[in-house]
Amino acid sequence: MADQRSVLDNVRRGMIPAHIYNDRELFELEKERLFSRAWLFVAHESEIPQDGDYVVRRALDDSFIITRDANGDIRAMFNMCLHRGMQVCRAELGNASNFRCPYHGWTYRNDGRLTGLPFHREAYGGDDGFQKGGQSLLPAPNLASYNGLIFVNMDPNAQPLEDYLGDFRFYLDFYTKQSRGGLEVHGPQRWRIKANWKIGAENFAGDMYHTPHTHASIVEIGLFREPKAQKRKDGATYWAQCGGGTTYKLPPGNFDERMRYVGYPDEMTDRVKGVWTKQQQQLVGEDGFMISAASCFPNLSFVHNWPKVLDGADDTNVLPFISIRLWQPISENETEVCSWFAVDSAAPPDYKKNSYKAYLMCFGSTGMFEQDDVENWVSLTNTAGGSMARRLLLNSRMGLLGDDRPVVEPLPPAAFHGPGYAQVGYNENNQRALLRLWADHLELPPVSATATALGTAR
Amino acid sequence: MTTARLGKPVGKPLPFSDTRHLEAHQFLVDEAYLLDAQHYDAWLDTLTDDIRYLMPVRVTTALGAGFDTSPGMAHFDEDKYSLSRRVARFATEHAWTEDPPSRMRHFVTNVRTFACEDDAHLAVESAELLYRSRGDVNEAALVSCGRQDVLRRCADQWKLARRTILVDESVLRMQNLAVFL
Repeated sequence: MADQRSVLDNVRRGMIPAHIYNDRELFELEKERLFSRAWLFVAHESEIPQDGDYVVRRALDDSFIITRDANGDIRAMFNMCLHRGMQVCRAELGNASNFRCPYHGWTYRNDGRLTGLPFHREAYGGDDGFQKGGQSLLPAPNLASYNGLIFVNMDPNAQPLEDYLGDFRFYLDFYTKQSRGGLEVHGPQRWRIKANWKIGAENFAGDMYHTPHTHASIVEIGLFREPKAQKRKDGATYWAQCGGGTTYKLPPGNFDERMRYVGYPDEMTDRVKGVWTKQQQQLVGEDGFMISAASCFPNLSFVHNWPKVLDGADDTNVLPFISIRLWQPISENETEVCSWFAVDSAAPPDYKKNSYKAYLMCFGSTGMFEQDDVENWVSLTNTAGGSMARRLLLNSRMGLLGDDRPVVEPLPPAAFHGPGYAQVGYNENNQRALLRLWADHLELPPVSATATALGTAR
Repeated sequence: MTTARLGKPVGKPLPFSDTRHLEAHQFLVDEAYLLDAQHYDAWLDTLTDDIRYLMPVRVTTALGAGFDTSPGMAHFDEDKYSLSRRVARFATEHAWTEDPPSRMRHFVTNVRTFACEDDAHLAVESAELLYRSRGDVNEAALVSCGRQDVLRRCADQWKLARRTILVDESVLRMQNLAVFL
């Protein structure tokens, strides 16, 4: 692309060429250089709790069967029969010891091993023609988990997941580790929106500025008291390596009182104290910041809010929920949203029930927050597809002065106990950080892939 | 009366000439008008106070798996309070997703009415197709679903006491469900 260099340079200085939100060439480049080497979320281990459980998930255009095999190990296998390329599993979840291809009956164990090949001797002359032993559905080039979040990577030489996540793990734990047992995850709800995938990722990473306006109706109907403009501005944003997010500033109190303020029962807070580090507890208890939305590059987001979901006059009767969501790119102007409800597995049954209700009212396909977000993002994507959008650099420099000095100084470690760069107030630091990673990836060479020839000696 | 038994259909569908069928059918057609016109306050009045309004997430499973909805997840899993919040939101001036409003048509067909064990309830099945058009750039969106309803006789009118919406897609092709089905 002739002007790629200037597009990326503009992105790096916080001036966003509007067409990046609806540009076919850039989408091809993203597939070739970004999604080919980034860690891509596919499932949570709690979705496949029993041996033989599986879910089928896509990473961009590739279908993977994510199984827990007979030994309890998690596998990710390319959902394509080694023989003629048929999908060996056409359900999206279930429990199976074997997958049998509907085309010619080749059969695979749930760990991917080829076990059945009809008429092996008559058709191939046995192992002389097709060596059956040791064959397996193609595994994902790379597979790793963190706190039960399962990721695949198309690059066999990718940086290890823990290194990739790096300092962002500190924040991931707030969402995904509230007891030793970890999360249980339900869903996903799946729906397609005519919007570019980057918009949701940027929004969840750091757009605290949109909350008071886009979500004004949520405050007006008494569902969530926090997003008032004054309160939103008091929160801090942080960026740590591969991800970042927003927080709300909580009223004065210690750790227990602040956890209670957002609606955690004391027994959950006690379990949290057994798994969060001292610094993680200080971020809440001393610094007074509670995590809200976040994104992990490239397309995984989280949200944790505490709405009022039960009828009654008491406005302090709030309850937190957690959602995990994937912005699965379909094309440059279409995204499949996969949105899960997540809750600590050790939480009391009533809490789980009401937290689920909180999720449904706020986020997901019917969520009242999400409805207004998507309306904006679809409109933006439509408008970004024309030639005028190529003449417009969107200003994404909020929080920066003309000479790149910050409008507000970053928080010192004593006032923000998490890693990375954090500051209070309105800014677009995280959107810029996310798009800088995007720009860096688009300049990397394509990942080379080697083809595997099956069954033959050579 | 337990929830499990509430609205359990008894016997064959009522003849189309049966008054109860005609009343149930009229209820659904009148409701479709309210939903098309987004007269949500009036719609809320047609629901009983103990309404349960459920729309499971449909999933693709193998024949014989014994389930085709996502365990523990729905699009809608509502009671009167949560529905009333959704309706209240549309009455604010900041529900951007329906400002400008969608052009909608709820097509209701395949209505079958069943008597229940008690005279106060009717079980009603219907098929519904929602056509929803927004703006002038993107194609209109469709949602096809089946509905299993329980109507309750309340003073001088029928009200909706239970609705289960079985959507026919596993991945919705609609930007949100800021609408009712």
